[in-house]
Amino acid sequence: MPTALIIAFWLWVAGLALALARASRAARWVIAVGAGAGIWGAAIALPQGGSATTLPIALADQVVRLRYAPEGLWLLGFGLLPAGLAVALSTPIRGARPVWVAGAALSLIGALGVFGLQDTYSFLIAWELMSIGSAALILSERTTVQAGRCTLYMLALLEAGAIGILLALLLLARSVGGSVDFAGYTVAGDALSSGGRIAVGLLALFGFGAKLGLLPFYEWFPGSYGNGSGASGAILSGVVLNAAFFGLARLLTDWLAGGSGAFGLGVLITAVGVVTSILAALYAFQQDDWRRLLAFSSAENAAIAVTCLGASLLFRADGLSALAGLAWTVAVLHLSGHALAKGGMFICADGVFASSGSYRLAQRGWLRTASMALAVGALFAAMSLAAMPPQIGFVTEWFTFQTVFQGFHLATIGGRLTLALAGAGLALTAAVAFATFIKAFGIGLLGDEHEPAHPRVGWGYEIAVLVLGVAILTTAVGLPVWLHGLGMASLAQFGVDAPKAMASGWILVPLTDTFAFISPSLLAIVMPLLAVLPLLLLANGRRYAVRRARVWYGGMREDPRRSSTTSLTFSNAMRTFYSFIYRPTLDTAREHRATNYFIRKLEVEHDVADVFGPILFTPLRRAVWRFAGWLRALQSGDLNLYLGLIGGLLVIILALTLG
Amino acid sequence: MSESPEATGSAMSPQHLHTSGFAARVQGEDVALADLEQRCRTAVSSGARTQFVYAWYPGRLEDPELRYVLHPRSGQPPQVWRCRPGAESPPSLAAIAPLLSWYEREITDLCGIRFRNEPQPLPHVLLPGARFERPPLLPGPAPRLIYTPDDLDLPEISGPRAADVQLLPFGPIRAGVLESAQFKFFYIGEAILHYHPQLFFKHRGMEKRFEGVLPSLGAVLAERVSGVGSVAHALAYCQAVEAAAECIVPRRAAWLRVLLAELERLYNHLHYLGHLSHTTTLKVGEAQGLYLEELAKQINCIATGSRLLRGLLTPGGLRREPRLTEIAPLLRRLGKELEPYTAMLESTTSHLDRLISTGELARQLAFDQGATGPVERASGVDRDCRRDQPYGAYPELSLRVALRKSCDAHARQQVRIDEIGYSIELINRVLEGLPAGSLRVKCEPPPDSEGLGWTESPRGTLYYAVHLDSERALARVKIKSPSFSNWRVFAYTVHDSNMMDYAINEASFGLTVAGCDR
Amino acid sequence: MPHKMTPFWTLYGLRHGKATVPWPRGASIAPGAEEDAACGQIGFLGMPRFDPDRCQEGCRECAEACLPAAISIAPPASAERVKVDYGRCVVCQMCIESCPTGAFTPSADWAFAVRRREDLLWARAALSEDGVALRRGIRRVFGRSLHVRHVDAGSCNGCESELQALGNPYYNLHRLGVFFTPSPRFADLLLVTGPVTYAMHGPLKEAYEALPEPRFVMAVGTCAVSGGTNGGGYACGNGLEGVLPVDVYLPGCPPNPPAIIHALLMLLDRMPQRVRAGRQAES
Repeated sequence: MPTALIIAFWLWVAGLALALARASRAARWVIAVGAGAGIWGAAIALPQGGSATTLPIALADQVVRLRYAPEGLWLLGFGLLPAGLAVALSTPIRGARPVWVAGAALSLIGALGVFGLQDTYSFLIAWELMSIGSAALILSERTTVQAGRCTLYMLALLEAGAIGILLALLLLARSVGGSVDFAGYTVAGDALSSGGRIAVGLLALFGFGAKLGLLPFYEWFPGSYGNGSGASGAILSGVVLNAAFFGLARLLTDWLAGGSGAFGLGVLITAVGVVTSILAALYAFQQDDWRRLLAFSSAENAAIAVTCLGASLLFRADGLSALAGLAWTVAVLHLSGHALAKGGMFICADGVFASSGSYRLAQRGWLRTASMALAVGALFAAMSLAAMPPQIGFVTEWFTFQTVFQGFHLATIGGRLTLALAGAGLALTAAVAFATFIKAFGIGLLGDEHEPAHPRVGWGYEIAVLVLGVAILTTAVGLPVWLHGLGMASLAQFGVDAPKAMASGWILVPLTDTFAFISPSLLAIVMPLLAVLPLLLLANGRRYAVRRARVWYGGMREDPRRSSTTSLTFSNAMRTFYSFIYRPTLDTAREHRATNYFIRKLEVEHDVADVFGPILFTPLRRAVWRFAGWLRALQSGDLNLYLGLIGGLLVIILALTLG
Repeated sequence: MSESPEATGSAMSPQHLHTSGFAARVQGEDVALADLEQRCRTAVSSGARTQFVYAWYPGRLEDPELRYVLHPRSGQPPQVWRCRPGAESPPSLAAIAPLLSWYEREITDLCGIRFRNEPQPLPHVLLPGARFERPPLLPGPAPRLIYTPDDLDLPEISGPRAADVQLLPFGPIRAGVLESAQFKFFYIGEAILHYHPQLFFKHRGMEKRFEGVLPSLGAVLAERVSGVGSVAHALAYCQAVEAAAECIVPRRAAWLRVLLAELERLYNHLHYLGHLSHTTTLKVGEAQGLYLEELAKQINCIATGSRLLRGLLTPGGLRREPRLTEIAPLLRRLGKELEPYTAMLESTTSHLDRLISTGELARQLAFDQGATGPVERASGVDRDCRRDQPYGAYPELSLRVALRKSCDAHARQQVRIDEIGYSIELINRVLEGLPAGSLRVKCEPPPDSEGLGWTESPRGTLYYAVHLDSERALARVKIKSPSFSNWRVFAYTVHDSNMMDYAINEASFGLTVAGCDR
Repeated sequence: MPHKMTPFWTLYGLRHGKATVPWPRGASIAPGAEEDAACGQIGFLGMPRFDPDRCQEGCRECAEACLPAAISIAPPASAERVKVDYGRCVVCQMCIESCPTGAFTPSADWAFAVRRREDLLWARAALSEDGVALRRGIRRVFGRSLHVRHVDAGSCNGCESELQALGNPYYNLHRLGVFFTPSPRFADLLLVTGPVTYAMHGPLKEAYEALPEPRFVMAVGTCAVSGGTNGGGYACGNGLEGVLPVDVYLPGCPPNPPAIIHALLMLLDRMPQRVRAGRQAES
């Protein structure tokens, strides 16, 4: 295990202690430095991965070992950069800081465990730590009254998911003779029947999906994220999301590799991934709150990675190891780029909130007063999430398409059809995501206002966003080099060094350069050159002095603020077109004078309906409440009843021990 | 066309012929201020429809008189209530007869009379921020207007999501060659929540321009109130002056006036079809509609020397003989082209899909708010003052009135298509049976006389009320234009509709701004 | 309604053939009846012609019948007793009917576009041509094409009716390279109608401000030139006088489509100015 990771762990523990001692400022910096150490540790351990370390503790006779796989280190490293910056900046809600910083430390410690622990028990403990840490982040902030309810709801769903994970891991353990050590699970796939494999796969999909925001869980995402700060979002969408994906990917590709049932599982996972990505993208587009929009988008990106994972399973089921390796590498790359870009946008949102007190996406012309740092950083992050060249989001999206397009290599028509449909679904997702980030950047940051009514975004946020923006571009431009970091991992899992075949010099190719190619490295050079032409034309065209006229409103001097595009008007056309999904409502109540013909006032209410809320979550929640209502009878407050219960219990215990 | 013109002529009773006498055909009575609301309530509940209200200053004094013009029932002559508010504030009748609200507010703007309990007591004909030193319609020189633009009166938007509603200001200089008017939309992407047409950018004070003009020259001015309604305006004006003079127009002139009025309807309706096709992006349909309009205008030019049919109408008859011999073959050619064109419009699904159920105007709304002309006839209100309050030679020329009941843009197109056919029938009937005789009689209204004239213009019922002073010059002319009525109704069909249908809906109403703004 | 097949409009259009008149391409046509027939203006009554030699001393009939005061009687010492300003004429023909001696006669003169306002005042001696070279450079800047932003500053809709007619297949203005644009931001010419009401004064100025340079202004219709019958009063100005600098004046009530085409092409130096000192050169 890399020493730097050990340092990171102890720094986080120290941070946790400091936070609990209410020294939150010191704690922030200690944790942030720890994140830096973590990134360093992850980077130097690649591409081999860390060696195994046995900890001097045991859980139920099971020795606790730590070992970091290369892909784990990769995902951890990319997740820690936004997380470290987020902790350094901390939540903008000052009163919440001590608890929040403690929550962040817990989340990071948990994530470190999830990536490295090698047995069922300790893994689940780390998983729980991560969940509790996440809940602490959001609960501490309490930006709205409903925050508590939403977060507890999130915790409840995550617990249900944890049970799914536990069951899946126990089923695997049973198949290899009861050992809960992950080392044994690599052969579990072969020991399980095809039904068993699908059951384990489904349980894992349910368990990890709760955290990744897969169908139907993407609906809780904005409920909880939307009540926290951007800093919480940067941690949850980065390192925590990556950890959950790592857990799912390891289970599916390492432990359930090959054998019958893999094809069916692959189809199922691809389908879940694609449908989630479409729905999450569509709902992200409709949000007018920074955090809710970004949260839906996180679910969408996780779902794209899961789709690649599904494709990887399909290729592997057909014995196409190279393509399986490609798909798997693309999934890992996608989430790493996403962590950077999403972190950047979340920190932007915090900057906006710290200045204006609101997370609403509204035209306030932030970039008019901000420095170039924020402009460049936010632009790169938004470009990446909108999949615009040459950013990393574009590269991974392109690779995603190249992967599913190669579905024609599959033997069965079913497999080909699955990936062809997945391609179509991802295309829709990409288009909607593009519009979503045009909206987020255009309305949220670019939107104009004559006199800025708020102080400019703080410099700390600007620098953090710039760091992430530069990281996004660097990752994309240098990808032909960085790719080698995943080579060993691919070799170990698929027997093929897929990442090596994904770069040909400075050109990126989907294994073969006869199919397609791009080069973010060259684009980064060529694209600025393209700007020279219009600049020359502009310089040449100045025959008349520049005269500025007002915005043309048909001859009137209107207030541009009143008539500027609102977040809703931008997205309403889609709301109308996809009304069968959104089921939008628009209610207009009118107040009148004298008769109905003289309108004095309009009251407007509009919304979109959730897909799973009414058919799944609401009945479930009601059922839980009803059940809780019955249980309340046990707490009647009647002393005689309690005595009766205790008596009954004693009888049962006696019967059990004596019998 | 079965009857010969001679037979038609002889069948008419002489008092119906070519007169529009105020005394004979309009019932006037004085109504006390206190009785006004009760009278209005009774009249409305008995099915009467208020037409308009205006104020004038009898004897050029500062004591105004209100004139309410009503239609008791179809087929009966209009009623006029005279009411002197004196120093008192007259009651607003808008809660009883909603369409009066705009007229009352106009009186407030231009005569300074405030109405009690006005539901929307805001400037109407004047833009917000415009005011006068003294009411401009008060006899005497026009006062100076002081104008510092101010915000429009728009309903308040409330609710937690109020900030999501976008305001779209459109105009007054709009895309294309269009008349100036500003439209404000409260909308969410496609959905229009509220629509406010801010008209009266073109308010020129035309009614005041008539003041002091000789009645014989007034027609020149009336022709220039609304260019595409030149004949209708001049004719209503002439009939009002003729009513004041109790003058009977020669039969030949009356017939030729029908010809002019129907030629005007023809080119207007053809323009309407071209423009409506433009909004549904039916390109060839648009081109053909505008081409046929051009042919109609060229026919106008040959007949009268003016493509807008100006310069012929005058109180007492016509100023000169139109050239009719050359237009008959051209009209035949036009008629031949029309038949397949309108049939194709009526069977083009892409066109009809955009019209059917667009801009629905319920019958009750059409009646309450005073929709007029093809607009009301498309909503099942069977009114046409050529038939209901006959004037000129219409009683002699059996007239068909188009009527549809589906209330939508398609119904409005159908009514106009039918009217094109009926107009051509009328024109042919005039050309075939035109009586010989003189064109003009002397028409000199006595001092302090008054008259009410009306026509069914291509856009609906148009009224001119004319008052002369003691020197036989015009003291007050009130114009009630059909577009003023239809613009008021139109807004109610836009609330809760969508942007894609807006242009089609507006085109289907066939509105003019000049006539409304005056 | 009987169920019918959706008609094939393209075929219908093709079957009708070309509806556009060649005018003004047949440039040899001189003003007169032949040209009127060539551009669809048979029977059109234009500005009345004035012959002061037929005028009767002391007679005021025409001036009294002239509502827009285009005809006025000058003070006794003036060179011309009757002053005629075609920039105020609304073509109502009342002067012709009122004149007892035939000093005003009907004409078909419609191509009344001029570059200088003075050319609309009747005068015995025609002005020299110096004003014509005013904007010779325009061809170099615009080539033969022109983009027009129309502003209705309170017209009666008569001018709009004729401006809209320019787009119909008969005149087909696009063939001449002239286009109406939705926004002033990409227009070369501001084409104004109406007497400029108080409410349109601001928007008109705003539109002129929004026009990129080089920019031109054309007053179309008598209202825009001088106010005509509708100008003045409590709500109107007197056309573009004192509001914007005008490059071409085109009186008429309304000017017919060929007159507007002539004015547009005159601005582009593609057609010559026909009227000087209140009358067409040939007359």
